[in-house]
Amino acid sequence: MFARKFLISFPIFATMFVVQEAIVNQFRILGGGLSLFLIFTLLWAALSSPELGAVTGFGAGLLMDLSQTTSSPMGQWTLIMILAGFSIAYLGYGDNNFRGNPISLVIIVAIAVPLTRLVYLVIGLMLGGELGSGLQVGISLLSSALWAVAIVPLLMPIVTRVHGALFQEASRG
Amino acid sequence: MRSGGDNRGRLLLISLIVTSLFLITLDLRGVAVIGSLRSGSQSALSPVQSAAATIFRPVGNFFTDVTRLGRTRGEIERLKEANESLRNSLINRKNADAELKELKSVLDLAGSAKYKVVSAKVISLGSASSFTQTISIDAGTNMGVRKNMTVISGLGLVGVVKISYPNHALVQLTTDPAFRVGARVAGTQQVGILSGQGTSKGVLQLLDNQATLKVRDVILARGSQNNRPFVPGVPIGEVTSVDNAAGAVTQTADVKLYANFSALSVVAVVVGAPEVDPRDALVPRAPAPKPVPTVTIYATPSESPKP
Repeated sequence: MFARKFLISFPIFATMFVVQEAIVNQFRILGGGLSLFLIFTLLWAALSSPELGAVTGFGAGLLMDLSQTTSSPMGQWTLIMILAGFSIAYLGYGDNNFRGNPISLVIIVAIAVPLTRLVYLVIGLMLGGELGSGLQVGISLLSSALWAVAIVPLLMPIVTRVHGALFQEASRG
Repeated sequence: MRSGGDNRGRLLLISLIVTSLFLITLDLRGVAVIGSLRSGSQSALSPVQSAAATIFRPVGNFFTDVTRLGRTRGEIERLKEANESLRNSLINRKNADAELKELKSVLDLAGSAKYKVVSAKVISLGSASSFTQTISIDAGTNMGVRKNMTVISGLGLVGVVKISYPNHALVQLTTDPAFRVGARVAGTQQVGILSGQGTSKGVLQLLDNQATLKVRDVILARGSQNNRPFVPGVPIGEVTSVDNAAGAVTQTADVKLYANFSALSVVAVVVGAPEVDPRDALVPRAPAPKPVPTVTIYATPSESPKP
């Protein structure tokens, strides 16, 4: 069932990945922290069950690891995204009041995006990466949260509908 | 999950985590399959990125200009006047001419030092989420671009080729926090190590504790063994402030990098270094002072009125 659900959503994630790599990365956006793909993945995971959130994180993390601009070891994003996808899905699982409230979703994704990037940075440091300017990192993390606040309300109507249509259909079938 | 599916959920989570740790281990051990996976994904994405760069780069440049508006207002005003007379003739060729200009300046710089270069267009900027500073260029191994080759713009050092694919390459920018380059001060020849900071400034640390730095000192690449990854003599930047902390073992300084990393469109990869070190030949010339016309006025007192 999971493999099937995962395969159903894979083309959507692949498209979002291409949009991120080919279009969003063309821009030097204010603060430098806009990752549409990360926001989309975490929002998708927030609407899923914990297992599906983890599988979603696994697939999305693999794609992020395949990005040519990722300098970290293959698997680092995968590991972090599994944990992020599982955690964000687990937080509101079974609570329809939480999931049905758009403001909760915006807040949880806006917190999860910089937190995920911070964990990536910390694990990167543990694997021998470089930190650079602390101020720049702080600005980047803050801006990623602000961008998430701006982008999630725009993505939410589409993501909730597509997610609902796919998985309700899948669970019926 | 919580009603009977707990074990299955846990098993799935553990399996996924183990898989990711397995991937990390394979990559850190240098297994070739992992590298070729990235190479394959990049080969598939490269045409899409090239097309997107053509379409969206003007939009990106617009946003870059907007974010820099406050800092460059004065410059924009000055350029507006100059642009007014050229607007009609340039309107259809603005983008091409900008790239041509950048190419010319980079070739001028390369020609001065007798570098053999391959020019390339920037097709993608780096990832927004990974804290790395990279660009992709449309020249790769088919054009002689190899890993660890110096990349320059008309203003100076841009970075170093990190990965080279058949038709494109990934360049680590000088601003990347992991970037390190052996540097020397033009004139005094003091040597040090310049590291990227994620911003348009780098930090230079001198190796000799007796050496001193001054503001406006020009920093050049020192060059590497067999000229890879760095050819000697490439201008890197200019010292803007010197840290004179009493307890420091050696002097450090902030260096404003010459290259404009927010507006890179054409760069050159140095595929062949000169036989002779260009030494300080590439130090940017200081602007020549303009003569100021002076007017001397001799005042002659008027005749005093007679009583």
